[in-house]
Amino acid sequence: MGGACSRKRDQQTNDDIVLGGVSRRYSKSGSSKWLGTSFSRASVDNKQGNTIPPSLMELCIYKISQEIDEYGTFSMLPRDISQQIFNELVYSQRLNEASLEAFLDCALQDINLGEYPGVDDTWMDVISSQGSSLLSADLSSSDVTDSGLLHIKECKNVEALNLNFCEHISDVGLGCITGLSNLTSLSLKRNTSITAKGMSVLSGLVNLSKLDLERCSGIHGGLVHLRGLKKLEALNMNCCNCITDADMKPLSDLRNLKELQISSSKVTDNGVTFLKGLHKLALLNMERCPITAACLDSLSDLVALLFLNVSRSNITDDGCDKFSKLKSLKVLNLGFNDMSDAVLAHLKGLINLESLNLDSCRIGDKGLVHLAGLVCLKCLELSDTEVGNNGLRHLSGLVNLESLNLSFTLITDGGLRHLSKLSSIRSLNLDVRQITDAGLAILTSLTGLTHLDLFCAKITDTGTNHLRNFKKLRSLEICGGGLTDAGVKNIKDLKSLMLLNLSQNSHLSDKSLEMISELTNLVSLNVSSSRITSAGLKHLTSLKKLKSLSLESTKVTANDIKRLHESHLPDLVTFRPE
Amino acid sequence: MKKEDTVKLISAEGFEFVIDKNAAMVSQTIRNMLTSPGDFAETEHQEVTFPEISTTILEKICQYFYWSLQYASGKETEFHIEPELTLELMMAANYLHT
Repeated sequence: MGGACSRKRDQQTNDDIVLGGVSRRYSKSGSSKWLGTSFSRASVDNKQGNTIPPSLMELCIYKISQEIDEYGTFSMLPRDISQQIFNELVYSQRLNEASLEAFLDCALQDINLGEYPGVDDTWMDVISSQGSSLLSADLSSSDVTDSGLLHIKECKNVEALNLNFCEHISDVGLGCITGLSNLTSLSLKRNTSITAKGMSVLSGLVNLSKLDLERCSGIHGGLVHLRGLKKLEALNMNCCNCITDADMKPLSDLRNLKELQISSSKVTDNGVTFLKGLHKLALLNMERCPITAACLDSLSDLVALLFLNVSRSNITDDGCDKFSKLKSLKVLNLGFNDMSDAVLAHLKGLINLESLNLDSCRIGDKGLVHLAGLVCLKCLELSDTEVGNNGLRHLSGLVNLESLNLSFTLITDGGLRHLSKLSSIRSLNLDVRQITDAGLAILTSLTGLTHLDLFCAKITDTGTNHLRNFKKLRSLEICGGGLTDAGVKNIKDLKSLMLLNLSQNSHLSDKSLEMISELTNLVSLNVSSSRITSAGLKHLTSLKKLKSLSLESTKVTANDIKRLHESHLPDLVTFRPE
Repeated sequence: MKKEDTVKLISAEGFEFVIDKNAAMVSQTIRNMLTSPGDFAETEHQEVTFPEISTTILEKICQYFYWSLQYASGKETEFHIEPELTLELMMAANYLHT
């Protein structure tokens, strides 16, 4: 019984590991991953609005995790059940060195202990006892050392191993994984001890498709050992400032490479020439590399290239005509480069572009005319440029735009009429001092907006009347100082709001909090620098989803908020003052 | 209670539990057994034998079925599980997709 009905491996949610967890935060301190420990699966509503009861399995697992000390071993259980118990214990942070013993020889497939507190060499016995069943292990941010890692040898079938931020693992420890030839994913972020010598073990991992060496500062010269890894598809060496042009040479053999990240390295145009033959390359990140437009010559034959990040590099107007050859590009990041409108003329033909970042480039209205035909654009970043009202005219036909950032540009209310027909826009950043109530009135047709940033715009109570048109708003920032309690009255009906920032509106009083109390979806609230007092806090008790609350520079004290946290808002993770 | 609205669940020791069909259908496995097309004995006689589930566990499972229906209709009470039953109950729950 049991085994026959085992849930299949791919129904479990461990994709995080397989994908290398790029988006996850890794750090020993300051992580909030473990702060949410509630067991709230039962309260999901189904279509009829009824509550779906927790399954008997869930109830049993929950029961066990609460009384874990009563159980000596789970090795008699089918492994998919012990796996679920293990996952629940990790999730609820009830697993410790003692309770771990119950999982000795349980044939677990996934040991996901990334960032889990207290993991060290003493845990490795039980982990390695899973033997050939173990398929993935995440020990990131643990105190496991070289001698602890030695045990992993016994787990011949491991496919994914995550050792990010393991400060005590060096070349010696890396030597233990020599025989793990089933590894497809290996992650060693921020390991400063690993050197070129230690990397020689990688040459035997012939099935490796994903290798993450981000922030490894000693790997210069070690990439020669990757030469034979014909299956390698993704290589991350972001922030490895030891990487030079010479390190690029061995990469020319990796014909299956699809993703290469070398941001903040020392790679120059010369190093990029070695990438010429990587015809499957789809993503290339060279942010902060000392490259110029000359490197684009080497990329012009890469017909699969979709994502290119060359922000904060040495690209200028010189030679930038070569951009016109990169016709397959969908995402291009040119931000923070010293280049002018001249570059934009060469982007005109990149008609597949969906995302373009020109943050802080020296571009203005004249350049934007070249973007008018890029009708696939969904995301356009023009923050900190010299773009003004005349430039916006050229954007009026970009009907697929979903996200537009115009913060710190020269635009005024008059220019916004060019945006009024862009009904696909979901996110709009108008953090510009010259924008006023009149500008907001022009945009009322953009009813699909979910994110609106008016941080330093001059919005008053009158302007908030227009916000009623944006019923789908999930985040809203108005911090120009012009709002009073009367204006907040127009905000209280935006029931979808999850993030609300009304700081620096010094006239807001406790009355505002009373109205905000109806926004029960709020996750983050900031009403700093206002007249809020402790008496107003009682209105916030209805905001059960709140995780972040900032009431800095008000009459509210740290103790007041702490009490609110303890008595009514247990899910608060960050709060100010504290 | 009409006979066609009930099903009979039989434990390893041969103990019979007659319960509402819609309660038993909380289990995906039982639902499949009772509704599958063809001439299966389970479908015809509306009874299922569980040679690997003891009477104590099957009783607990029947309690869960009724609790689950109550919960779904809005009466969200706690379902008590005796610690000594947990492991065996889990294996049965796994088998019954419950």
